[in-house]
Amino acid sequence: MLRVHFKVVYVLVKLFATLIEFTGKRKLEISGPKTVRELLDELERTFPGFKKELEKGHIILVNGKNIEHLQGLDTPLKDDDTVSIFPPAGGG
Amino acid sequence: MYGNWGKFLRVNLSTGEVKVEEYEEELAKKWLGSRGLAIYFLLKEMDPKVDPLGPENKLILTPGPLSGTSAPTGGRYNVVTKSPATGFITMANSGGYFGAELKFAGWDGIIVEGKAEKPVYIYIKDEHVEIRDASHLWGKVVSETEEAIRKEIGSKKVRIALIGPAGENLVKFAAIMNDGHRAAGRAGVGAVMGSKNLKAIAVEGSKRVPIADKQKFMLTVREKINKLKNDPVAGGGLPNYGTAVLVNIINENGLYPTRNFQTGVFEHAYEQSGEAMAKKYLIRNQPCYACPIGCGRVNKLPTVGVTEGPEYESTWAFGANLGINDLASIIEANHQCDEFGLDTISTGGTLATAMELYEKGYLTDEELGDAPPFRWGNTEVLHYYIEKIAYRKDFGDKLAEGGYRLAESYGHPEYSMSVKKLELPAYDPRGAEGHGLGYATNNRGGCHIKNYMISPEILGYPYKMDPHDISDDKVKMLIIFQDLSALIDAAGLCLFTTFGLGADDYRDMLNAALGWDFTTEDYLKIGERIWNAERLFNLKAGLVPERDDTLPKRFLEEPMPEGPNKGHVVRLKEMLPRYYKLRGWTEDGRIPKEKAEELGIAEFL
Repeated sequence: MLRVHFKVVYVLVKLFATLIEFTGKRKLEISGPKTVRELLDELERTFPGFKKELEKGHIILVNGKNIEHLQGLDTPLKDDDTVSIFPPAGGG
Repeated sequence: MYGNWGKFLRVNLSTGEVKVEEYEEELAKKWLGSRGLAIYFLLKEMDPKVDPLGPENKLILTPGPLSGTSAPTGGRYNVVTKSPATGFITMANSGGYFGAELKFAGWDGIIVEGKAEKPVYIYIKDEHVEIRDASHLWGKVVSETEEAIRKEIGSKKVRIALIGPAGENLVKFAAIMNDGHRAAGRAGVGAVMGSKNLKAIAVEGSKRVPIADKQKFMLTVREKINKLKNDPVAGGGLPNYGTAVLVNIINENGLYPTRNFQTGVFEHAYEQSGEAMAKKYLIRNQPCYACPIGCGRVNKLPTVGVTEGPEYESTWAFGANLGINDLASIIEANHQCDEFGLDTISTGGTLATAMELYEKGYLTDEELGDAPPFRWGNTEVLHYYIEKIAYRKDFGDKLAEGGYRLAESYGHPEYSMSVKKLELPAYDPRGAEGHGLGYATNNRGGCHIKNYMISPEILGYPYKMDPHDISDDKVKMLIIFQDLSALIDAAGLCLFTTFGLGADDYRDMLNAALGWDFTTEDYLKIGERIWNAERLFNLKAGLVPERDDTLPKRFLEEPMPEGPNKGHVVRLKEMLPRYYKLRGWTEDGRIPKEKAEELGIAEFL
């Protein structure tokens, strides 16, 4: 029997604040993206205008770590990673 | 003089004497106003060693030069006094409308001295000042007191700052409330007011704050308001979700203190976030005076009806910090604290300490008797003990002393998550080390608001800094935040304006209003002067840097057990000496003569 193994990356995406209203979702699973950039492209395809929502600023975390201190949009994603995406926010 | 009136009202409650304290513009040029002038008066007139709850402590309520003007968020006032919680200086800040009204009445502040023989309240209508009997108001909760005073004065316009039963009963973390649900909350200013037998200050004013260049001021204010409205935080996140928009952000970043800071991730964060609150309970926003942001929440619950809040800190204090997952109970607890006049951060922090003492077996069922056990997640604890604290009844009497003294009484002060005996707010410093240095060096102890390093370390304002970077750049940024916050407090504005405005923006508004031509550096120098003067007060009050500029052992020795900050502690020892040095202080954290001379505060050494 021939078995073909495809290496598919499944990423858990968590959305917050206005992004919940924009997409109608708090959590979703996305397969395929190898970097944060590819993930955002995929989200843009699913929810046209998604990237525009992040234009004024955003916080993107991969497993709780801000991508600014990883490799930015080129931060690689692996199976079971959690990506949290926030629009700009503050308080205190 | 513009912006400021050049006049403080001095009321001595022991003698009943009311005086006008006039000052020259030169003094404003040095201290700006509010938090600045208040520390000047305290250093000049009061021995920092006084008993905080004795008649010799002075209580100063003071708006700033931009309070009562059209400057965005110009409704703030500070309460500056010696804290009964910490034994050091405190400057509790509040919004609402009271601060602006005091300016309309022609005053830059009130200095309350002495102690009345029986309960009184002060009624101010412009120059007219009366000390009135408040025996019939003593014991009343905040909303009832406000209503009664309003009725007595016969004016709907009157604005009132007051204490609830907690302040009367000298709870170490009692707040001064105003306009219903706004609080000058931290470090026991309400207990100082209670110790003076002062129930309330009611103000009505009819004047307009004098502005040097009205045209220029109007234009610059308009520009700043637009900046705030276009800012995604000040004009989006905050009005949409309130300060509790932070719940998820701080939790996902792994520094949301859970079960008395035992970990930094709470499994039920979403259910008590600003997003959840907006969906379930929010009926409208409640802006303070002249505020284009409007972060205040008006929520409606079947139990307590329409209420304001909770803010991010209070949501956490009664939620994650106690392992509680019930947003309705959290909102009710916040409402109770507002009615009794209690600081929510310290109330929650003290209950969390009790819960950990119970978990570890130091506090037992035997001692509590029929009272609810301090089990994590037990919502009964909130409703039952908050009332007991306010009236100092039963075990509430012990809790009313605050978490540090509570834990110390069991021989385990390490279970109090506090700095200088003031309970810490909702950010575990193991996930933001610069913020940790801020806690350790804050003049009023465990406070976030006077050095909000969460902005650069987590939120990316003014730019993103690595939360685990502890270089000189980080320390310098903290110093700028401390000095800038002091300046904004002294100006009478809200710190949330920093999400849309920079130091130059404050300069523009102040110069137009006051008629000065100060540079941004000049203004920051005022902030630095205030910070140093407060430090000097603390040193004279008995602060020992090597003992007091520190953090609970947990953050220094116990690595974060899970989440994105797993394995991290706060490397305070590596940062603190550099902080002292960059402040121009001695190696052991004292202010040398040269620094004091440079800042013009050598007379107080």
